[in-house]
Amino acid sequence: MHFALAGTAKKITGERVLEVKDVHAGYGNLKILRGVNMTVPTGGIVTLLGGNGTGKSTLLKAVSGLIPLMEGTVLFDGVDISNLKPHERMRLGLVQVTQAKEAYPAMTVEENLVLGAYTRRDREGTKADLERVYEFFPVLRERRKQMSGTLSGGEVQMLVIGRGLMASPKMLMLDEPSAALAPKVVLEIFANINRIAKSGVTMLVVEQNVRMALILAQYGYIIRDGVIMMEGEADHLISDPAVKESFLGGSVADTSKALRN
Amino acid sequence: MGFDYNSLLAFIIFGVTIGVVYGIVALGISLIYSGLDIVHFAHGEMYMFGAFFGLVLAHNVGLPYPVALIGAMVLTALLGMAVERVFYRRLTRAGGGYTVAGMGMIICGFGMSVALVNVAYFIWGAEAEPFRANLDYIPRLQFSGDIEVPESYVLTAIISVVLMAGLHYFLRHTKTGLAVRAVAHNKDIAYLMGINVPLMISLIFGLACGLAAAAGVLIGPMQSVQVEMGYLMLMKAFAAAVVGGFGSLPGAILGGIMVGVFENLGAAYISPSHKDIYAFLLLILVLMFKPSGLLGIEAKVKA
Repeated sequence: MHFALAGTAKKITGERVLEVKDVHAGYGNLKILRGVNMTVPTGGIVTLLGGNGTGKSTLLKAVSGLIPLMEGTVLFDGVDISNLKPHERMRLGLVQVTQAKEAYPAMTVEENLVLGAYTRRDREGTKADLERVYEFFPVLRERRKQMSGTLSGGEVQMLVIGRGLMASPKMLMLDEPSAALAPKVVLEIFANINRIAKSGVTMLVVEQNVRMALILAQYGYIIRDGVIMMEGEADHLISDPAVKESFLGGSVADTSKALRN
Repeated sequence: MGFDYNSLLAFIIFGVTIGVVYGIVALGISLIYSGLDIVHFAHGEMYMFGAFFGLVLAHNVGLPYPVALIGAMVLTALLGMAVERVFYRRLTRAGGGYTVAGMGMIICGFGMSVALVNVAYFIWGAEAEPFRANLDYIPRLQFSGDIEVPESYVLTAIISVVLMAGLHYFLRHTKTGLAVRAVAHNKDIAYLMGINVPLMISLIFGLACGLAAAAGVLIGPMQSVQVEMGYLMLMKAFAAAVVGGFGSLPGAILGGIMVGVFENLGAAYISPSHKDIYAFLLLILVLMFKPSGLLGIEAKVKA
């Protein structure tokens, strides 16, 4: 189920954790996704990129089950989950980490984290994972008894990622982890995402911050108008002129070093 | 020319007791609002059905009053959960959940209210029934001077406190209560954390209706039980919920107590014949100075 990623070799390995096949979905009569195909291999970091209104959030909701599929299927670890409710999908190990502002402000840091383990019955394992989360994010340990409403933006983002980890996921889907955060904080969070992926959790990172996301990930999908416009190995996408023109401006050299810890 | 402090105390005591009952109904309304994002306009009928169930269990079946109370709470909770599952939930099918169903829910609530009242008419007829409860084992309380608090009021006060403590314990110290709080705050995130949201919604609804039923059974011996009693209670409980801050649970209790006391004081010192108006007078006053209610919370961010 989990195996560690060897170094940062940007090679995609065999087995697939998530397969999105020809998915059409939307809200009521409004169709947003018009035939999306996407694959996330086990143990990798895949990024889904696009601007506002391109369908990123809709795709995430379709994969987690918050909206029903109009057409197509979603397979998780080989199992067809297209008709499962969100809490059922989550219990299979598919965990979505929502945006930072969606922590529970009226609960303490520790209560939020423990809530992430809501579906688990193993108290020893849960305690061990709580320790692991505190090791990834020492600042959360410092603030464990504080109301999460008092945390800074970066700390809340770490909290919701930690909460996702508490569910002992096979795969984590992160919804714009860099949103509304200062660049230095984003660096720290992305470095953490890298470490978490190395510890064996497959990651799908939805992002608007194209540059950082393509440095972090091995493979990338670019979505626009409800379909996948481009896909490819991250280092190819970064140097692709079409991508460069629409999304990136300037050089990407320096940021890569900081992520390599 | 002494001001009669004894009477004032009496009015306040009565006001608080009745106010806590308003608060319990308001609790249900706020619970449903924070959990399901809807204003339940048929909640007064849950209160009414609770009173009738209690009446039937106590008089016809012959159960002792406390047992009839519990029985009525359970039956009404089941009724409420059935209504939610069969009718209200259908409105959310179009996708988007209860929040989007919005206007449809309000109208459905009104319709359900009318439907329930007519079902009650059909079963029990239009006459007011006195609720004779054997409360001999409850002491009357004597306060300074000649204030005597009848047993029904004492029992009401005790049971109300028990109910509120129970709800508080459930919400703060049990895993299911944590799930309910999570669902009330944001349904999508709760879903993503593995919480069975539809089940929690049913539970929230059942809880709220059970509370309304308890209020009905508690009020029963003080007034009589009549098929239309829900309408006025809904108005006052709604006012109480808004006064305390709509969606806030402590606010519901506080609002209820304030309505009860204000009502009694108004009836005593201003005019008894317009007793029912004071609740709304209070509502207007509070909203003028604090539009979000006394303990009102900021508008939630809806996912």
